[in-house]
Amino acid sequence: MITPSGLAETLLWGAANGSIYILLATGLSIIFGVMKLVNFAHGQLLMIGAYIAFATSTVLGLNAYFSILVSMGGVALIGLFVERFTFRKVLGTDKLNEIFVSLGLIYIFENAAVLLWGNKSAQIVSSLHGLLSIGGISISYDRLAAMGIVIAILVALMFLMKKTKIGLAMRATSQKSDTAMLMGINIEKVYIFTFALGAALAGAAGALYGIIFPFSPALGALPTIKAFAIIILGGLGSIPGAVVGGLLYGIAENTAGYLLGGIWPDAIAFVLLIAVLVIKPTGIFGGKGD
Amino acid sequence: MKTKLLAAIAAIIIIVVAAAIGTWQLTQPLSTLPSPSPTSTPSTSTTSTPSPDARPIKIGLVAGYQLAEGQDMDRAAKLAVEEINAAGGVYVAAWNTKVPIELVIADTGKDTAGETVGPVTRAVTEDNVDLLIGGYTSAGTLADQVVAIENRVPYIITGASSNLVTRRGPQGNYSGLAEGDTKRINDTEGMSYMFHYCTTTFDYSKTVVNFFAETMKPLLDSTYSFNTSRPLRLAVLYRNDAFGKGVLADTKKLIQANGLPIEIVVERPYQTTATSFQTDLTVVKDAKPDAVYVVDFIANTAEIIKEGQKDVGLNTVYIAVECVEDPQFYTLLGEYGDGVLLESKFAPYAGPPFYLPSIGTYVTNYQAKYNTLPGMMGADTYDAFFIAKAAIEQAGTVDKAAVRTAIEQINIPQMLIMTETGTVQFSTGTNYHEIAPITFIEQFTYNATLQECRPKIVYPATVPGIGTLKQADFVLPTSYQSGSP
Repeated sequence: MITPSGLAETLLWGAANGSIYILLATGLSIIFGVMKLVNFAHGQLLMIGAYIAFATSTVLGLNAYFSILVSMGGVALIGLFVERFTFRKVLGTDKLNEIFVSLGLIYIFENAAVLLWGNKSAQIVSSLHGLLSIGGISISYDRLAAMGIVIAILVALMFLMKKTKIGLAMRATSQKSDTAMLMGINIEKVYIFTFALGAALAGAAGALYGIIFPFSPALGALPTIKAFAIIILGGLGSIPGAVVGGLLYGIAENTAGYLLGGIWPDAIAFVLLIAVLVIKPTGIFGGKGD
Repeated sequence: MKTKLLAAIAAIIIIVVAAAIGTWQLTQPLSTLPSPSPTSTPSTSTTSTPSPDARPIKIGLVAGYQLAEGQDMDRAAKLAVEEINAAGGVYVAAWNTKVPIELVIADTGKDTAGETVGPVTRAVTEDNVDLLIGGYTSAGTLADQVVAIENRVPYIITGASSNLVTRRGPQGNYSGLAEGDTKRINDTEGMSYMFHYCTTTFDYSKTVVNFFAETMKPLLDSTYSFNTSRPLRLAVLYRNDAFGKGVLADTKKLIQANGLPIEIVVERPYQTTATSFQTDLTVVKDAKPDAVYVVDFIANTAEIIKEGQKDVGLNTVYIAVECVEDPQFYTLLGEYGDGVLLESKFAPYAGPPFYLPSIGTYVTNYQAKYNTLPGMMGADTYDAFFIAKAAIEQAGTVDKAAVRTAIEQINIPQMLIMTETGTVQFSTGTNYHEIAPITFIEQFTYNATLQECRPKIVYPATVPGIGTLKQADFVLPTSYQSGSP
C-alpha cells in the first residue's frame, strides 16, 4: 500500500543515503577530473575509512562523529602512499595498467582489513538516538547528521577549489595538464594532493556509512560500482555532477524499492543511468571532454 | 577519448556487477543439524603390536575462512580434534592401535559454488582425506560434494540448509527435480556417502509457526481481547535467494498443511546486495502485522531489526533464524535486540545452566581457547568429529565404504545438538541421511551492564529426553504495537 507519508519518507531517506554516495563519488570524480585516473579501489578506501572510525571510536572512546576527522586523515595518508608508490608509476601509460593496479589494490585492502580487524561485521556506535518526526514523516538523527556533515564538507570543498591556490592548480591541471605544467604548476604535487583529498572524502563517507550501516571488509565493491554509476550519471570529472548524480541515484534506488518492491532498486538505478547516457552520453553535467 | 573511456568503464562495471550479483546469488545460507556425543573407546590391546600401516586419520574440514561462520567451524573443529587426540585418538581395530586425527583444511574462501570445488578436490585427490566434514552454503556444498560423491569419500555436511545435499539422488527421489535437471545425481552408491548433520529450512519454519500458533497467538488474543478466530498476522521479510525463498515456501506449506491460525499479510523479498531496508520495512509496517519473520544472515538481520525500530518505528515482534546465532549478532543488535526472538538449535548464551551439560563444557573450553563465545555453525562441526570417531571405531578400519556403512548405522547419544530421539541417527528413505533435530525459540533481554542482549528459551516447554527446556515465558516487548484487530 502506497501512502503519501510513506513516499515522502522514502524520498527523504533516499536523499540521506544519496548523501553518502555523493561524498564517495565526489572523491572519485576529483581524482578522475584532475588525474584522469580510474580507481576501482575507491570503495575499499571507504571501507578502510569505516574501520578507522570504528577503531578510534571503540578503542579510544572517541565520539563517532569526531572519528570522522580521524578517518579522513588516516585515509588521506593511505591515499598519499598509494598515489606515490603505485599509481604514479603507471600514470600516463596504458589505461589498462591503471585499471589493473586499482583492481590489485582491492585485494590488498580487503585482505589487510581481514588481517587487522577480522572478517566479522561491525558498526560504529553513535551517540545520537531516536527519530525526528514531522507531520508523519520520520528520519533518524544519524541520517540527518550525515546529510548535514556532507553539506558542510561539500561547502568546504567548494571553497578549497574556488578560493585557494591549490584549488586553482587542481582546476588548471584538470583542464590542460601540459599547459598547467608550463605555467609553473608542480603537477606531481597536485596529483598527490588530489589523490589524498579524494581518499579523505572516501574516508569521511566510510565513517558515515559505518555509523548508519554495518560493514565488513567485503563492503567496498558495491559502493565503488554505485560511485562510478553516479559520476557517469552526473558527468565524469564534474563535482556538481557527482552531487546531483548521488542524490538522483539515492532517491531512484529508494523510490524503486518502495513502489516496485525490494528486488528492484539496483535495476531501476541502472536503468536511470542508461537513460541518461542514451539522452546525454557525457552525463548531466559532462562537457564535450578532451 | 572520453567516449572510449566511458565505454570501457561501463563494460567493467557491467562485468563487476554481474560477478557481484552472481557471487551473492550463489552464497546461500547455511543451517545446522544435530550432533553426536563422544562414545566410549575400545581399549587398545596391550598384547599385540600395532600394525605398521597405522597412520593418522585425515579429516578434511570444508570451511569458508573468509566468513565468520567458517572461522567458527575452524575453531570448533580444532577443539574437537584437540580433545579427541588428547584422549588418545581414534581406535582402529585393523591397526590394533589408537591414532590421532590430522586436520586437513579445505579453505573455500567465501564458500561460493565457484570457490569450493578446487580446495575439496585437492583435499580428496592430493591429501587423500579419509572423510570430509563441513560445507557452509548450500550452493557451495552442492558443488563440492560432487567431488566426494565421485571419489566415494564419506562427507558429513554440517552447514547447507537445503535438503538437496542428500536428496538429489535416487534415494531422496531427486527431491522432486525434473529429469535432466543438472542438480540431479544419478549415482546411487555415490550419494550414499553423503550425510546431512544440520537443520533445514523446513526445520526452522516448523518451530517458528508452531510457536506463533501455540504461544504468541493466545497471548495476543488475551492481551488485546482479539476474537479467537482472528489469525495471527505475520509479515515475512526475506532475502531474494534460494534460502529466503525456501524458508517462505516451507512456512506457507506448514501453515496450510496444519491449518494453523496464521495469515501471511505481506511477503517482502529484497536484493541480496541490499544494505538499507527502510522502504521494505515501511511496506511491512503499512500491512500492520503482529510479527515480522526476518530471513537473512547476521549483518542484514541485525540491520533490519534496528532500522525497523530506529528509523521506521515498526515496534513489533521480530523473529530471526538460527544462522545468526553468533556473538557478532548480539554485538550488532545492542539495545535494539530487546524483545527479539530467535529460532535456534544451539544456545551458548542461554546459560549456565544449560539444557545439556555438554554445552556447558563446550562453551567453557571454547571460551578458554579462543576468548569468545562459540557461534552456532561450529556446534554441528564439533559434533561431526565425534560422529566420525565413533563410526571409524565401529568400522574398525578407515576403509571408506566401511566407514560410510558405520555412519549410516550410527546410534550414539546426542551431544551439542538435540534430536527427537536423544541420539544421533541418520534416516533412510526419502528423507535420506538426515537427522531429526529439535529447535527452539529464544527471546532476548537487554543487559545494560554487558551492553548486549542475552536470551532465554521460551518455547517449547519440554523436549523428549531432557524434560523442561523453557527458561522463561514469552512476553510482548514493552513498546509492542499489535497489528490490525
